[in-house]
Amino acid sequence: MEPPHQPTLAKILRVWSLLGAQSFGGGSATLTLIRRAVVEEQGWVSAEEFARFWALVQLAPGINLLALTILIGRKTGGALGIAVSLFGLLFPSVTITILLTAGFARVAHASLTQEALSGIVPAVVGLGLVTVWQIAKPPLVQSRAEGKDSVFLALLLIVGSMAAAWRQHVPVVLILMSAAVLGAAWSWRRSARGARS
Amino acid sequence: MNPILYFWIFLKASLFSTGGSGNLPSIHADLLARGWASDGEFGEALTIGQLSPGPSGLWVISLGYLTDGLRGSLLALLAILLPPMLILGVERLYRRIQHHPAVEGFVRGLGLAVVGVFVVAMFGILQSAGISPRTMTIAAGAVGLALTRRVPVIGIVALAGLSSVLWR
Repeated sequence: MEPPHQPTLAKILRVWSLLGAQSFGGGSATLTLIRRAVVEEQGWVSAEEFARFWALVQLAPGINLLALTILIGRKTGGALGIAVSLFGLLFPSVTITILLTAGFARVAHASLTQEALSGIVPAVVGLGLVTVWQIAKPPLVQSRAEGKDSVFLALLLIVGSMAAAWRQHVPVVLILMSAAVLGAAWSWRRSARGARS
Repeated sequence: MNPILYFWIFLKASLFSTGGSGNLPSIHADLLARGWASDGEFGEALTIGQLSPGPSGLWVISLGYLTDGLRGSLLALLAILLPPMLILGVERLYRRIQHHPAVEGFVRGLGLAVVGVFVVAMFGILQSAGISPRTMTIAAGAVGLALTRRVPVIGIVALAGLSSVLWR
């Protein structure tokens, strides 16, 4: 928790390998685990920084969690930190995926597996909602510090993007970009007014 | 099967999409058109992707193995590993212009929209499991356990699978 913002490579490898091996239940469960490990347990990044990283990785192509791992890995150990973090996260999970594919595929169709999966999916959704709440908190707190109109805009952006994403008629990239541009225009205007008064 | 073309199909799909399954439509269209994969293999790969640990995009590793063995799974791994590296450029750009007043609002607006889109996606996934007293109870239980921060995530997932089998 305290000083080591530059952990050893062995430590980085150990933390990420544990994450890669135990994060069953898809991406949102993994995000929950990563946040818990690097923010709450290791203190490698602050809650605000984690929220900012998560916003930024939406702008990179591919799997967001890998981009997030790259950013956290660089913060903790530079280029080597990136390589070690990615290796730690992916080696156990990729190995398990290949083993499952090679030998375990038949079991996926068994009724007991289906039965268990139908309960695991809602649990994963619940975990995802908790994580998304933790990610929503820092920007909401910041908006509240700025005043009522900023809070109103923040809630409008959340509800508006939910409405736009509903039924998947609007491409997600378009939703994210529109909200980002609105947020940019808002803060620019705010600072311009602040400078004048 | 040409390994370079095979790799390019996976890379192109990941380069022009976000998230773990955003690359699915493109890979699906390209591999089926060449007869390199079947719908059944896609279903199997997606199921295994749900079962295996790690980020949600690893279903392509499984698809790679099903369609081209170990070589296929390694090519798929490389293809999903490269595109996220572009985040380093995004972050550098962000650092250069972060003191412009619009940038802070840009990132904040983006973050808030991600929250909204994420909630909708979660709802869709919940619907795929069926909305019933059973699934809602399990979801609420998982939220409660996660908020205590004392139960490891794998414990919550295991508990959910177990209670689902017991409560039919």
